[in-house]
Amino acid sequence: MLDQPAAQLPVSQRTNPERSFTEEVRALRLGEGEVFRGEGILAVTKAILQSGVAYVGGYQGAPVSHLVDVLVESQDLLDELGVHLETCTNESSAAALLGASINYPIRGCVTWKSIVGTNVAADALSNLASPGVIGGALIVVGEDYGEGASVIQERTQAYALKSSVWLMDPRPSLPTIVRCTEKAFELSEATNTPVMMELRIRACHVTGEFLAKDNVPPAISRNHRLAHPAAHNYDRISHPPSTYAHEKIKVEVRQPAAERFIVEQGLNELLPGERSDLGIIVQGGITNVLVRGLDRLEVEGKVPTLVLNVTHPLVPDQIVDFCKGKRAVLVVEEGAPDYIEQAIHALLRKRDVDTKIYGKDVLPMAGEYTAEVITEGLLKFFAQSANDLDISGPRERFEAARAGRAEAQRLLGGPLPLRPPGFCVGCPERPVFSAIKLLEREVGKVHISSDIGCHSFATLAPFNLGNSILGFGMSLAAAGAVAPVMQKRTISVMGDGGFWHNGLLSGVASAMFNRGDRVLVIMQNGYTSATGAQFIPNTSGNRRDGETTSDISATLKAMGVGWLRTIHTYNVGTMLKTLREAMSTDDKGLKVIVADGECQLARQRRIRPQIAAQLKRGERVVRTRYGVDDEVCTGDHSCIRLSGCPSLVVKPSPDPLRTDPVASVNNGCVGCGLCGEVADAAVLCPSFYKADIVQNATWWDRLKWKVRSKVIGAMAGA
Amino acid sequence: MPKPVTILIGALGGDGGGVLCDWIVSAAQSQGLGVQATQIPGVAQRTGATTYYVEVMPAGAVPRTTSVLALNPAMGEVDVALATELLEAGRMIFNGFVTPDRTTLIASTHRVLAIGERMAMGDGSFDVGRLLRAVKERSRAQILFDMDQAAEESGGVINAVLLGALAGSGKLPIPDGAFEAAIRHAGKSVDTNLAAFAFGRGHARGELEQAVREHRKRQTAVQGAEDLVERARRTLPVASLDIVEEGIRRLTAYQDPRYAVLYLDRLDAIHALGSAELLREVARHLAVRMSFEDVIRVAQAKTSAERVARVRAEVRAKDHEPLEITEHFKPGIEEIAAVLPPSLAKRLLGWGERTGRLGKTYFSMHVRTTTIFGFARLRLVAGLRWWRPRTSRYVEEQAEIERWLGQIRAASPLGIDLAREIAESARLIKGYGDTHKRGLGNYRRIADEVIAPALAGRLTPRAAADAVANARVAALADPEGESLSKTLVAIASATSPLKQAAE
Repeated sequence: MLDQPAAQLPVSQRTNPERSFTEEVRALRLGEGEVFRGEGILAVTKAILQSGVAYVGGYQGAPVSHLVDVLVESQDLLDELGVHLETCTNESSAAALLGASINYPIRGCVTWKSIVGTNVAADALSNLASPGVIGGALIVVGEDYGEGASVIQERTQAYALKSSVWLMDPRPSLPTIVRCTEKAFELSEATNTPVMMELRIRACHVTGEFLAKDNVPPAISRNHRLAHPAAHNYDRISHPPSTYAHEKIKVEVRQPAAERFIVEQGLNELLPGERSDLGIIVQGGITNVLVRGLDRLEVEGKVPTLVLNVTHPLVPDQIVDFCKGKRAVLVVEEGAPDYIEQAIHALLRKRDVDTKIYGKDVLPMAGEYTAEVITEGLLKFFAQSANDLDISGPRERFEAARAGRAEAQRLLGGPLPLRPPGFCVGCPERPVFSAIKLLEREVGKVHISSDIGCHSFATLAPFNLGNSILGFGMSLAAAGAVAPVMQKRTISVMGDGGFWHNGLLSGVASAMFNRGDRVLVIMQNGYTSATGAQFIPNTSGNRRDGETTSDISATLKAMGVGWLRTIHTYNVGTMLKTLREAMSTDDKGLKVIVADGECQLARQRRIRPQIAAQLKRGERVVRTRYGVDDEVCTGDHSCIRLSGCPSLVVKPSPDPLRTDPVASVNNGCVGCGLCGEVADAAVLCPSFYKADIVQNATWWDRLKWKVRSKVIGAMAGA
Repeated sequence: MPKPVTILIGALGGDGGGVLCDWIVSAAQSQGLGVQATQIPGVAQRTGATTYYVEVMPAGAVPRTTSVLALNPAMGEVDVALATELLEAGRMIFNGFVTPDRTTLIASTHRVLAIGERMAMGDGSFDVGRLLRAVKERSRAQILFDMDQAAEESGGVINAVLLGALAGSGKLPIPDGAFEAAIRHAGKSVDTNLAAFAFGRGHARGELEQAVREHRKRQTAVQGAEDLVERARRTLPVASLDIVEEGIRRLTAYQDPRYAVLYLDRLDAIHALGSAELLREVARHLAVRMSFEDVIRVAQAKTSAERVARVRAEVRAKDHEPLEITEHFKPGIEEIAAVLPPSLAKRLLGWGERTGRLGKTYFSMHVRTTTIFGFARLRLVAGLRWWRPRTSRYVEEQAEIERWLGQIRAASPLGIDLAREIAESARLIKGYGDTHKRGLGNYRRIADEVIAPALAGRLTPRAAADAVANARVAALADPEGESLSKTLVAIASATSPLKQAAE
């Protein structure tokens, strides 16, 4: 019953299984004067359509996935407007997409998760920034920073600085975000420079409203094609000698133009305050936390504040005019290094302005600027710079709150059990790690090179499998120099998302080329599941024509992979056998196991309505789920240690003679069968049973059942 | 600026926290209130914990103020905290967001154990007492009930119950109708959500009786042991009778009345030691140890009269729906040897050893106990219990039990605590296959390396009792037995000076 291929589904019905966006799609059609309501990232999506983009692209990743996801479901609207949508296979192809705006006056927008996505896009980004653009080019990056982030903590700012790309960091309020998006295209065209706009996690998901405008169909587009390509112009090619000229133009022409535009359009905001001797300069994205911090200290509206909705470039005159005559200015800049603060220091030094600058001395150099962090920083700033300001009351309240928290933690005897993310109920990737754990029982610990994707959850409890993560699709390459120094073979785990994103070339090609004696397990679940089950080349059914684009096994064969096995993941026994073979075979080349099993989340969202319909029609449906005989279970929980399925829980022992809680399967069970498989493969215990419940039973089902129950009842009574 | 009502929501992936936010937001908007919500879903969607933060402006506040609504909760500035699960309520308290001067805490009292709690080899769940105490002492007002149960009863989802509780709390300037309209507007499973909403609101206003989840201890029903129960009542202290009577029933069903007599005889010897508490503990463990898990017992359990009904209830099969049950068995050479007489068992195991089949060869069987043939097969095995006393496993187990009882008897003069700890250490022996082997191995190590020296007087009774307890805890810490080894080494080093003194 498991893993019917998605291809059975008509293309029209095949939408993003994570959630469907009908509401959001409607919001994108709003016209002049109508009120838009929704999340920040959707507001950006609406704003780019209002700005007349001709093409949109991107690679999925929290917190910006929805931009492309929603557009994927808005194909009709895009067709009407003539907007081309490219769901790219990685961020560098998304960045390269903006190449269209180098030679043609058409606007484009691409999006990805930063910092990781920007890293991948860096090469194309540099080569885009150097010649510059004539059509507005906007890059919306999700600044995956602070609480809830899933990547290394670095700042996108660095890329803006090194490539001379402008960086917007709008105040997280929908009208501001929308205005910045629209202005970003104008700024890009006024300065022939691509513009990045960073949105933090909470800003992407913040709800709000703004007055919509009509969507603008682009003048040049899929619907209005050009007769001729652009005339050959070597200045537009990032190749010497042009590159030498580009470098000069960036700083001599484009940056001054950007500074003028920022001032003329008033992109940065000045919040007035009566204290002329004090000031605060803040990244737009942090404004709300700051304002609330000032309010907490009862000085809201007292301190003049310069809100930088554009954090690169800074406008020297604007900064100097703001600081001049002030005793002390606080720079509120999240994360390290403190690029803005350093720039301001240098600027004031050059202009002989002696205003004292506070920043990373009263605020932490690293880490998210939460309400608590900002409040503490402000307290220090005012204590050192304005002792005439009486903030003793708020300070006491703040200290009291902290003392209260300490008391609460004492009461709880902290720390509380953590809830790391894990595999969903019935996830097809879980059985592979159960098998690897069983393999390690036989051969001992193995070096496991992990990757980005749901499978990285295996590095957490209960599996705790994995020695390193080097980036998306990098797990095989990351084992390159480990394998040669290991007596046992290394195992690299990679998702199909990672495979197409980077693993195919950085990993497989390189391993083949170097005759790497390694084991690679590819999780073929059919989507990039961790980001919301977006389609990828091996998804059974392309979003355009319903055809599967590229098959992983065929691709590997074509690349000359000799030892290749495709295993249905839920079959733990077979998976274990195959892993054993891969680890011990005399084959000295790359050994690839394609672990095949459709993402259960996607599958459930697809089949639940189908099953509901079948039941409505009175058709016979067999519901399968697993259970534990609590009389037989003795409460050791090794089954949980080998699976960790959320639906495999514990409950108080019903046996009056036993105290340890027993295992139990709750109603979240989707009947994937892993617990039975594990009990079997690991020879755990006979507690598990499989139950098939026949819904809308036929007369034959019922007859069989009646007869059996009678006889069995008699035997049991005997 | 006018102060918004601040709402922090703690939820688990799959609880529908996002939808809950949407409902609150659209309800507030329908009342023309300034409102802002945000979340940090990220990978928490995948079974992790996550939070949502909402701010609602009071009626009549100027719209511009929405531009400075916060995106992060602040310590001590949360008016309403909602939690879909008790530990998540604890987490919000732990982080200082829930405070006694301000926060109304609306939380479900049910527990969804975190993976670390479920993985434990014994009972690893966090102390609920601590959680409830913190909830009571660290929040201004509480609306607490089992929302999971309420969702169950209403046929809805927990987020709708929570929304109802929020409405019932009256903390927001939003009428019930507006919340219900929000649910209707969202348009997904409207009826069940409205029902759940009503349940939540009813509970919050104390209009509804709280349905209490019962974890009833099941008692083995059996006839033919009445006289033995009588004997127990005559000879043993009341304090231990509930356990002892269950033990009698259990063993009569497991084997026969004669076996239950052996149980009582063994208990009399413990009773003679004079500690009712010790007797109770031993009675509990002894009954479990005497009803050790062999294939016969498993077959008995899987073919008992009440079982099918129990399974039907657990998997929620409706009365008219046929049910098929498939059992997963995988007996190996050891399981077979266990039911052979000692001599044969020895030869079989020896052969398994020589041929390297031991612990390698297993027979994977998927038996359908809802078919006549499948049921009959298990019934046949269950019928072998008359043969059990002749099996090698039976002989081994009885020897182990006698050794254990002997140690308890020997320990009681030294100190009743030590005796009780020795009794309690039987808890380590449980499970099947590797699990059983590991547990028995750990138990034997403790018996040899801690209990024996203790009985030899190489530890003070007090120290000995602690040592046995520590060793037991360590044995349950990790399957690899690393912490047990560490603990045993520590105990050994503590033992040596006394040893020298003794010499």
